[in-house]
Amino acid sequence: MAFDFQHCIRCTVCVANCPVFKVDPAFPGPKQSGPDAERFRSDDEPSIDRWIRLCSQCKRCEVACPYGVNPAEIILREQTRYGERHFRPFAQRLFAHTYWVGIVSSLFAPVVNLLTPRTFVKKVLSLFGLSIAIPFPLYYFHTMDRSWRWKGSRNSRKKAVFFYGCFINYNRPDIGRGVRDLLASLGVRVVIPRQVCCGLPALGNGDLETARKFARKNARILAGYIDKGFDVIYTCTSCGLSLTRDYPGILDIADGKKVAENSYNLHEYILKLMDEEYIRPVFDPLRRRVAYHIPCHLRALGIGYPAARLFEKIPGLEVHILEDNCCGLAGSYGFKKRNEHTSTTLGADAARAIKAVDPDILVTDCGACKMQLGYFSGISACDPSEILKESLKVTDPGI
Amino acid sequence: MNATYDVVIIGGGISGMMAAITLVGCGKKVAVVSKGDPVCCFSTGCVDVLADGENPLKGIGSLPEHHPYHLVGDKGIAEALGLFRGIMSAEGIPYVGDVHANRRVLTSLGRSKVTCLVPETMDFSDIDPHESLHILSFHKMKDFYPQYITSRYAKAAYSTFDAGVTTTVGIAERFEDSDFLDTFTTWMRGLAIQEERIAVPAVLGRGSSGAVYHRIGGECGRTVFEIPTLPPSMPGLRLFGGLKNAFLRRKGDLYWGRGIYSVEKLGNQIEAVTLTGPGRSTRVEGKAFILATGSFVSGGLQASRDAVMETVFNLPSYLPPGTRDAWFQDDFFAVGHEIEKAGIRVDASFRPLGTEIENLYVCGSILAFSEVMKYRCGHGMAIATGVAAAKACMGAYSGI
Repeated sequence: MAFDFQHCIRCTVCVANCPVFKVDPAFPGPKQSGPDAERFRSDDEPSIDRWIRLCSQCKRCEVACPYGVNPAEIILREQTRYGERHFRPFAQRLFAHTYWVGIVSSLFAPVVNLLTPRTFVKKVLSLFGLSIAIPFPLYYFHTMDRSWRWKGSRNSRKKAVFFYGCFINYNRPDIGRGVRDLLASLGVRVVIPRQVCCGLPALGNGDLETARKFARKNARILAGYIDKGFDVIYTCTSCGLSLTRDYPGILDIADGKKVAENSYNLHEYILKLMDEEYIRPVFDPLRRRVAYHIPCHLRALGIGYPAARLFEKIPGLEVHILEDNCCGLAGSYGFKKRNEHTSTTLGADAARAIKAVDPDILVTDCGACKMQLGYFSGISACDPSEILKESLKVTDPGI
Repeated sequence: MNATYDVVIIGGGISGMMAAITLVGCGKKVAVVSKGDPVCCFSTGCVDVLADGENPLKGIGSLPEHHPYHLVGDKGIAEALGLFRGIMSAEGIPYVGDVHANRRVLTSLGRSKVTCLVPETMDFSDIDPHESLHILSFHKMKDFYPQYITSRYAKAAYSTFDAGVTTTVGIAERFEDSDFLDTFTTWMRGLAIQEERIAVPAVLGRGSSGAVYHRIGGECGRTVFEIPTLPPSMPGLRLFGGLKNAFLRRKGDLYWGRGIYSVEKLGNQIEAVTLTGPGRSTRVEGKAFILATGSFVSGGLQASRDAVMETVFNLPSYLPPGTRDAWFQDDFFAVGHEIEKAGIRVDASFRPLGTEIENLYVCGSILAFSEVMKYRCGHGMAIATGVAAAKACMGAYSGI
């Protein structure tokens, strides 16, 4: 693993795929900051590359690399090493703990939602290094962890725990409850256990220890359910990538492998149930033109585009797959002032591609993509599960 | 996850994508499995068919008897190239040229390269040494030195524009911004260029290269062309992007970025390939499979001291006779090398020889005797054999 960089033949295909490199000249690109620089790094020497933080961890380089080098992971290791030795600015510390931000903000949701759009508040946050280019997301008091925690018959042959992730929990719990009801309507017993942040925000902000703490806790909970015959379902593609890849990988969690092998993307899971002939859903027609923006981390998961395969089964739905653009926000990356230019340029780019399709609706799996592209395209973004719910006539959740 | 397809294509390069598009065009359910971006991304984007002679299709008759082109025939090649042009036009990256005539393209080293079909942005690239040429270069641009060209062309001059960025990818990205394009054209008009033609390194945008190219041509009232650069090469990336998006638009499924395959066989049939990764593996089931993993550089073939291995199915591969010493050439720059003949031998319907597997087809540069460097037939052969293998597969599996 650690010697992956030696397989690099310097073909630069990763560079051509790097969204940050395209718009920020300060970032030397995945080849130089990954495999090239890695030759000169040693655990005995301090990390000194300031620009290492400019990588947004979109993983496009890894998808592109035909030689099995993982530039983003090499960079990620260095980012955490850099984080250990150097002062981490306020914004980075804040976003490493989006989980706690979420807990507090959702508790005082009405106040927080009232304050964040205010010019004065924005100016203060801006002083602390936060970008105010796009609006902050709204918080909800009625989060997933305050919602009904199970659904579906106890006797179902299929049992699943839903790993909802912070964005759904605090900012779009309606999607989360929709997923719960969708799965239950497909005959799956859904349980929503206690869970914490997947750890990705902490990892991406150079805080390996916090990420490990979160991951250990989740892995313990999820592994317990897996032992009882449950599958793990995620909808957030970044949480998914973290569960399947970082838990057994860079975070090196005891039950990481078990969690990774038993975690499914929601749509992948529905396809699996259909393949096994556990369900035979009847999709009602929806006459719409859909722009489906593929999140970078869905590409990186290597599972194809399962939601698109389900969309094909909905009569009348015209789907345009857009996979060439990163939305630029990359979780908390774009909310940092330093990255504002990168994030907004890429966001406007991706929105242009969406508008060129002239869609009725914009669909994307990832929370950050939804925020960013909804803002830049002016078309409100919805989750693939919402389309499925509508086509399958799953009623709105009460609680 | 289990996914069942009519045809599963392994390798997302030109050949694999052309096979995939041909098959989805006929209503088949197709998946492309690719472990990364293909080598065509590093290419000039030009489609070489056969570099010797004026008419590439005529030259095919004189190729050695085992060359894969003979399996397609000149009619088939012309048809496949026509299909390719149709696909690329629809994606907004039209190709110009005549399949019966080779043409020359100016390279960033100031030399010409012989090719056949070129992106429209290189349409006027066939320049005579006595013609006057003005190169619009960029300040401190990496790996592009207009002096290479001006030193060879008596009537060539150049100017440099400060784009604020110095890399191919960075400059191309800036051309996607209409304000930047305005600034650039204003600067260009200010130069009051007298030369007959204007050349720009191939950085005129990513997806919207056509619009940028026509805008610049319109503004200066002269013929403009792009000069292909060293990798990252925008025309190569546009070529791949065009084929990939054409495939997705036709409802093909794409599985990205997983390199380790395991193969399931039942009797003489391949049933599925499994893409393993860090988490749970993804199993892709198919009724037929097409192998388009390319040759050594793409990892389709791997060489050891005394053998050449095919990396996915471990198919028997052809190795030129004689020891390595016998292949040795004194001239480093000599055209052609014995190792180029290595690869998979196939029958008339692109099925690999020497194996009991029945539902497998092979296309692209992994084919034995293709000698892509020697005959300079890379993209042309990839397109022709990709389409032909897809048709052969469809012929045998009309029921699927």
